Amino acid sequence: MSWHGFGFNGFGQIVAHGREDTGTPCVNQVKVTIPTAVEFPSKCPDGSVSKGRSLQLSASWSRTALFSVQGDGQVHLTGFLNGVSSNQKDITGSSGCLDAQINERYLTLRFPDKVECWSCDGADMELVWKTDQDSSDIPKGHSAQLPLVPEGYIAHGPPLFRPLSLQLQAVSLALGSGHAVLLCATGTIYTWGNGSHGQLGHGSLVPEEEPRVVEALWGVPLRSVAAGGWHSACIGEGGDLYMWGWNESGQLGLPSRRCRKKAEQNKETGPPGGQQGDTDEDVCISIQSFPALVDIPRVSEVKSVSCGSRHTAAVSSEGNLYSWGWGDYGQLGHGTLCSSDEPCLVDFFPTHGLRVEDVRCGPWNTFASVTTADPTG
Amino acid sequence: MAQVWPDILTVLPVSEAELNLNFSEKIDLSLVDILKQARNQLYHKNGTRDGVETAQIVLDFSWEKLNTGTWRDVAKEWRRVYSYGCLFKVTALCCGEVSQLKIDEAIKTCDMGLLMGASILDDVLQKLVRVLQNKAKAWQSKHTEPIVEPERKKFKTECDPAPMINPAKAVPRIYCPSLEQFRTEFLDPLRPVILEGVIDHWPAFKEHPWSIDYLRTVAGCRTVPVEVGSRYTDEAWSQTLITVSEFIEHYILGKGNTGKGYLAQHQLFDQIPELKEDIRIPDYCCLGEGEEDDITINAWFGPGGTVSPLHQDPQQNFLAQVVGRKYIRLYSTEETERLYPHQSQLLHNTSQVDVESPDATRFPDFLKASYQECVLQPGDVLFIPLKHWHYVRSLELSFSVSFWWA
Repeated sequence: MSWHGFGFNGFGQIVAHGREDTGTPCVNQVKVTIPTAVEFPSKCPDGSVSKGRSLQLSASWSRTALFSVQGDGQVHLTGFLNGVSSNQKDITGSSGCLDAQINERYLTLRFPDKVECWSCDGADMELVWKTDQDSSDIPKGHSAQLPLVPEGYIAHGPPLFRPLSLQLQAVSLALGSGHAVLLCATGTIYTWGNGSHGQLGHGSLVPEEEPRVVEALWGVPLRSVAAGGWHSACIGEGGDLYMWGWNESGQLGLPSRRCRKKAEQNKETGPPGGQQGDTDEDVCISIQSFPALVDIPRVSEVKSVSCGSRHTAAVSSEGNLYSWGWGDYGQLGHGTLCSSDEPCLVDFFPTHGLRVEDVRCGPWNTFASVTTADPTG
Repeated sequence: MAQVWPDILTVLPVSEAELNLNFSEKIDLSLVDILKQARNQLYHKNGTRDGVETAQIVLDFSWEKLNTGTWRDVAKEWRRVYSYGCLFKVTALCCGEVSQLKIDEAIKTCDMGLLMGASILDDVLQKLVRVLQNKAKAWQSKHTEPIVEPERKKFKTECDPAPMINPAKAVPRIYCPSLEQFRTEFLDPLRPVILEGVIDHWPAFKEHPWSIDYLRTVAGCRTVPVEVGSRYTDEAWSQTLITVSEFIEHYILGKGNTGKGYLAQHQLFDQIPELKEDIRIPDYCCLGEGEEDDITINAWFGPGGTVSPLHQDPQQNFLAQVVGRKYIRLYSTEETERLYPHQSQLLHNTSQVDVESPDATRFPDFLKASYQECVLQPGDVLFIPLKHWHYVRSLELSFSVSFWWA
């Protein structure tokens, strides 16, 4: 099993920047447009890594965190560290961690007996929040998957700890730039936070202070949630994918004015300002404030989904990766810098006999964990 | 092919050390690192190959910050970063040989900074855009004949029929009242009035009579926000950013069915100081308590048939009509209950009623509301007291300037 990354590499967080003259053909240093294997630090894989699905990844805008949950759990960071790009660092004291998440300011680590939050923007890592817990203390039905922690969750910024009612029976939580999407044990989802772009899915553009159930999905059993900058996604038990929020770059897989305009510009026709052919204009959707079923051609079941700031990537049950939305940094993995408002197969993986198991988006990049496809199925 | 770089250099800090990149801790260090790379590329030309790409990273990142949360909550610091992104993109575009296309893109980039960013380095974007515009003009006069199409030289004259004004409801008119008379008879009692003869001396009427050609010459390549859709309460209404020339081409001279476009409520005169020279702040504004710098001056430029739905503003308003005529309806604050304001927070200052064809079943009391009306002519200035409800429809191609003051 290994991770392949593509998209924004401005800090060498996917592949280290080499000397100017030694770039591989698909890498322009800053924009990696073709899936590229993420190198593991030599001492991190301890044998068990190559087997099971043990290597986990979390990406922020300028850094990538890798850790092995079956190995020693040591967290390894690459990217912008101590003020230097293409830097690498093992986090001392991270051995034994079970889960890790990184954003532009903080690295959160979950151990069997505690959760720690470290600031990682400055030269030195600094412990800024900590809670001790006994794993037997975790209330029943309340998952400890980050950013969830006992009785609450870790937010992107101060105050880091925010309480959550135990009655919600939180299972997993996804955080966008200003909103949150929560999956509960009952299979219902709640959203709260900023709603200016329809990202809460309540049919309006107003903010919500408290978790509010997404009524449009009431009765649809759900199993997974994701949140991007201003959009949200969830997967039903049957593998159906629902999305809502801002469709500015086609990140919902719905017709986007910006995508159509870009295509139009090449033809140099039509008036400026997005007022092109009137029929096209009518079908474009800027904001989708209720969940919409996303159709991925030839895919009957979606296994997992992840959202970047303005793009989306999903894995089918067949082990294929599809991506859509903003593509200016190569984060769609199609070998171009184009955006797409239709889900497109990342054909690198089937072409190379690789099966995609899972996907994690950073804000401007995408990482897929892959195994060698087994022809016997 | 030409060089614009020597002129650009004259408005930039002379050395890398003098271009400070100090930001509060709100700005991520990773982004500051990109800003420093961009600065390095600017002063040491070795990196110019990637200059635009580096600047674009700054722009994309800060653009996302500007769109997170409400506009009012966006930290000024992020708007400064956005402006730096624009500065670095412009300088990267303009080093070495430049084409007309690159100059146009550079001007557009300056305007994006002026529209969405915050002032940096002693208004460097304003200085840069002046340099670029001069270059573009010098070029155009050298390389191309001015486009003169006789039927396009003047503003279109066809117009919507003006409604009959009921004399009993007409807004009173007065010729050049004294400050004292204006204050006691209109300002203090908050009574609307049309002031005549107070803007006749504007260069916009005399030295530089505003026309389509004049606007195209002064501001053609400048990017401005335009409202598309007949009124801002419509579902299909949206805002877009296009150049003044594009706006004139498609929405003023409007060929084909591209919908209504309105350059509305935009602080054009801050963006293009040259146009500000053509207008004057009315003397009566000194009767307010605010400073002159606090006066908000907005441009309203559009074809016949643009509509501003019935709404109220929180400040006193002088609406000066420069080109074309506008039909205006005014309701005092006492009538608010009969005007059915929208319930939503965003539109609670706007009435739900379509003033000129009201739905009497949904809004039965609206017809009982008393009002005043007028057709504003070029040279007229309408005093709209604060909170007074007003509805505005242009009868033909129109350019108005509003002054919000307190």
